[in-house]
Amino acid sequence: MFERRLYHHIDFGLLIAVTVLCLLGLTQIYSAAGGWTTIVQTQIYAVVFGVVALLICLSIDYRSLADKSHFIYIAVIGLLLYVLFFGAVRGGSRRWIDLGVFNLQPSEFVKAALALVLAKFFGESRRGGVTNVDLAVAAALTAVPLLLVAQQPDLGTAATLIPVAFAVAYVAGMPMRLLGILALTALLAAPVAWKFALQDYQRERISTFLDPSQDARGVGYQQIQARITVGSGGVWGKGFTEGTQGQLRFLPVAHNDFIFSVLAEEQGFAGVIVALGLYLFVILRSLEAARLAKDRLGAYLVLGVLASFTFQVIYNITMSAGLAPVKGLTLPLLSYGGSSMIATLAGFGLILNVRMRRFTN
Amino acid sequence: MAQTEDRRRVALRLVVLQVGVVVTFAALAISFWYLQVVQHARFQEMAENNHQRTLALRAPRGVLFDRNGKVLVENRLSFNISIVREHTKDLNRTIRLLAAVAGLDPAYVRQVVDRHRSEPTYRPIVIVEDASMSQVAAVTARRLDFELPDVLVQQVPTRQYPTDALAAHVFGYVGEASDAQRSGSIVGQSGVERVYNNLLQGEDGARQVVVNSVGREIRTEAELPPKEGRRIQLTIDYDLQKAAEDGFRHAGFNGSAVILDPRNGEILSLVSLPSYDPNDFAAGIDRATWASLNSDALRPLQNRAIQGRYSPGSTFKLVVATAALEEGIVDPDFRVNCGGGASFFGRYFLCHLKGGHGSVDMRHAIEKSCNVYFYTLGNMLGVDRIHKWAEKLGMVGTTGIDLPNEQESLVPSTEWKLRRTGEKWYAGETISVSIGQGQVSVTPVSLAVMMATIANGGTRVTPHLIRAVDEGGGWKVAAPPAVADRVAFRPTTLAALHDGLWMAVNGAGTAGRARIAGRDVSGKTGTAQVISNQGRQAARGSSRDLRDHGWFVFFAPKENPVIAGVIFGEHNEHGYLGAPIAKHVIETYFAKQEGQPLPQLVPMVPPPPPEADPDTAPVEQQAPVASAPGTTPGTMTQGTN
Repeated sequence: MFERRLYHHIDFGLLIAVTVLCLLGLTQIYSAAGGWTTIVQTQIYAVVFGVVALLICLSIDYRSLADKSHFIYIAVIGLLLYVLFFGAVRGGSRRWIDLGVFNLQPSEFVKAALALVLAKFFGESRRGGVTNVDLAVAAALTAVPLLLVAQQPDLGTAATLIPVAFAVAYVAGMPMRLLGILALTALLAAPVAWKFALQDYQRERISTFLDPSQDARGVGYQQIQARITVGSGGVWGKGFTEGTQGQLRFLPVAHNDFIFSVLAEEQGFAGVIVALGLYLFVILRSLEAARLAKDRLGAYLVLGVLASFTFQVIYNITMSAGLAPVKGLTLPLLSYGGSSMIATLAGFGLILNVRMRRFTN
Repeated sequence: MAQTEDRRRVALRLVVLQVGVVVTFAALAISFWYLQVVQHARFQEMAENNHQRTLALRAPRGVLFDRNGKVLVENRLSFNISIVREHTKDLNRTIRLLAAVAGLDPAYVRQVVDRHRSEPTYRPIVIVEDASMSQVAAVTARRLDFELPDVLVQQVPTRQYPTDALAAHVFGYVGEASDAQRSGSIVGQSGVERVYNNLLQGEDGARQVVVNSVGREIRTEAELPPKEGRRIQLTIDYDLQKAAEDGFRHAGFNGSAVILDPRNGEILSLVSLPSYDPNDFAAGIDRATWASLNSDALRPLQNRAIQGRYSPGSTFKLVVATAALEEGIVDPDFRVNCGGGASFFGRYFLCHLKGGHGSVDMRHAIEKSCNVYFYTLGNMLGVDRIHKWAEKLGMVGTTGIDLPNEQESLVPSTEWKLRRTGEKWYAGETISVSIGQGQVSVTPVSLAVMMATIANGGTRVTPHLIRAVDEGGGWKVAAPPAVADRVAFRPTTLAALHDGLWMAVNGAGTAGRARIAGRDVSGKTGTAQVISNQGRQAARGSSRDLRDHGWFVFFAPKENPVIAGVIFGEHNEHGYLGAPIAKHVIETYFAKQEGQPLPQLVPMVPPPPPEADPDTAPVEQQAPVASAPGTTPGTMTQGTN
């Protein structure tokens, strides 16, 4: 299954960049969590499991995986249904399957599963272009897990599924006209959604985002604190474990959603540039893998996996600077979180897989 | 074919995505650059404000000592309970909880908070000053439980004054500074506390602490210890102060006393009664106490010694005597025949002794306080020369004592009347001025200066309260204030005045109650009319206290006096009733100097009043014949002892 010559086609540049980001995440979690705590240890386990997942996803030919993608998709949907009824509840959300030592968060694995199934669906399409029927089927495939995740409720993760669908459909040849219409519709629907679809607390979050000072102690607090955290870092930062905002808990969930703020505070603008550079390298390198892919399936698969990753990276970093509404979205590779780490590394296994097998038949 | 077209489209769309990602990352980098580099200073400051809190450490005020080194005013540690709103999430909850824990009315707490609402949130709002131990314990426990992390318990030095409100008007009191910049700092509002505030105040320190997101102190970052205010030694003698106040209490009336060293103007004792307790102000006076002090008809906040102005009565005869002798108008042997009254300018003025004193010279006129004698001298002098010598004796304007808001004493002159009323002076008015009535209106401290000047032979000393200051390197004697005026009285003048004053106490005079064997106390009583006899008729039935005030001025011993002063008895009716207070003070003074046990006041049976007590014998006489134009009969008056 894993031929020796394939080893030479592994994109070690990408692999190293991903590893460096993981290590960067570990050090910042160490700092934000206040030293050598169980949080750091859990994250190390997660990285180890993630590497195993990456190796598994790397060694099995992505085409075989794509062939079984409908099983994987159905299995993940099953897990989501299980969570919906029997999942562990934390903080008002039902998102986890309690495995005793580990809490599994199936919604993190939906992204990769959806990428696989959509890549397979569009990749096998024999017709020249993408028809409306194709798009409708893709939309349905996306909508099912999206609604299930949104029910937990976990709107953040649910939202990451949308870029997956769009990215694959876009590269697969979705007409630009249709994209324009969808964008226009979204724009027009926004006020209606504001009025009818959103909950009070969601409306509050958005209005506070536009003017954080109107609720400086409540929802706006995190946003203001995020900006202070980042801004006070300066060019060179306050030094490792020297950040006052993160260390003194002015910033909530510093080791999780706001890990990038902690990095910006302690390592400064210099650290930010390094981290942004690493992420940009990872994304561009993955797009390169999509370009080099042997077949459409490979290209679509890379795009699908990359889409949710990129969306999350950009959104989380924007939020970390206090420039986007606070949403429970983690920063892949850096934030604390086992399921996210494993799923993300597994995703990179798939990307490496596609590139590695670009010459095989 | 379709395959290659497909590939081209994928490649094209990948390029679009690539560009999109690069642009987005560039935008992110620019955003971070803007936040972290361009706006760094602003956010840096916000971050510091977030986690650093500067707590003012109140400096203890300088300790006040008496002239012998006894501590008079010191500091004790008390606890303030404050709210720091900086990290408060729910102010209402904090107010409710704090009120419940400390046993306060929530409405009151809210009121205090509202009053300071506009101040910066990091500045503590003091809710409870001088909190009880149980309040401190209750709040501290909640603080540790994270229930009240935004409530601060601070130890602050608080002024501690002697018990029994001793020398309250000397010390004054402290209070919160009224100007906004120094809000929260404690400054002297009255008395020595105010005059020497700059010395006493010290420098507040500061402690910079790191707090976490709920306002809990994590550690101290830097500490600038407060610098205690300068220690000041006052000229006050604790035992004499106590003796004078005890004397008043024993005698049972209010009033004032100023007792000083006639050689240099150092004030040994300064009393004003009724008094207030400066301790009430030390930790912030409550509204009820403040209101009651202010509305009290007896005006306990007024320092009578420097702010009360009264007519000096017969004590003023010393001024007239000095003027007449120094101007060379008469010599001490000049005699006047007193037949119980005399006519001047068509008006008849009475002496207090119905039968008259007969032929008296200067010494006996002072001893017996003969009105006719001084009417005659006054008439010979004219008001302007009386004014001139009153000024030389310290009874015009202020004495320059180092206490705030001293009132000016007034002795009229022709120039003064013209300026004041636009009318010329009538010679007839001089007659009542010459026995200290009419428009003469003086403070007790000015009478004390007068007595000191007569005692020391003509040097008008400036009364003062500061003796030495500890500038940090040990005591440094404070430079005494400049002598206000220096006139060498003729020896004959001094001899006559001193003899007359000695005889008033030790002879057949009115001040026998101040007599101390071997001490040669010299003194003079006087009565200040509160209202004319006519006015007294008119005001009958009103609730105002219209009884006369009594004076006693004195020095001792007769030769080279070392102590001089004035006892003012408010509405005590008889000047001689002040004499025992002076006696007690003088006895204490000498007992202390000679290392004897200090005298104790024992309740005593009052001795009979001296014959023909002038204070109780109204001697006012209406002018039966044409009075001097412009003088109202009512103001021409009673002669007193």
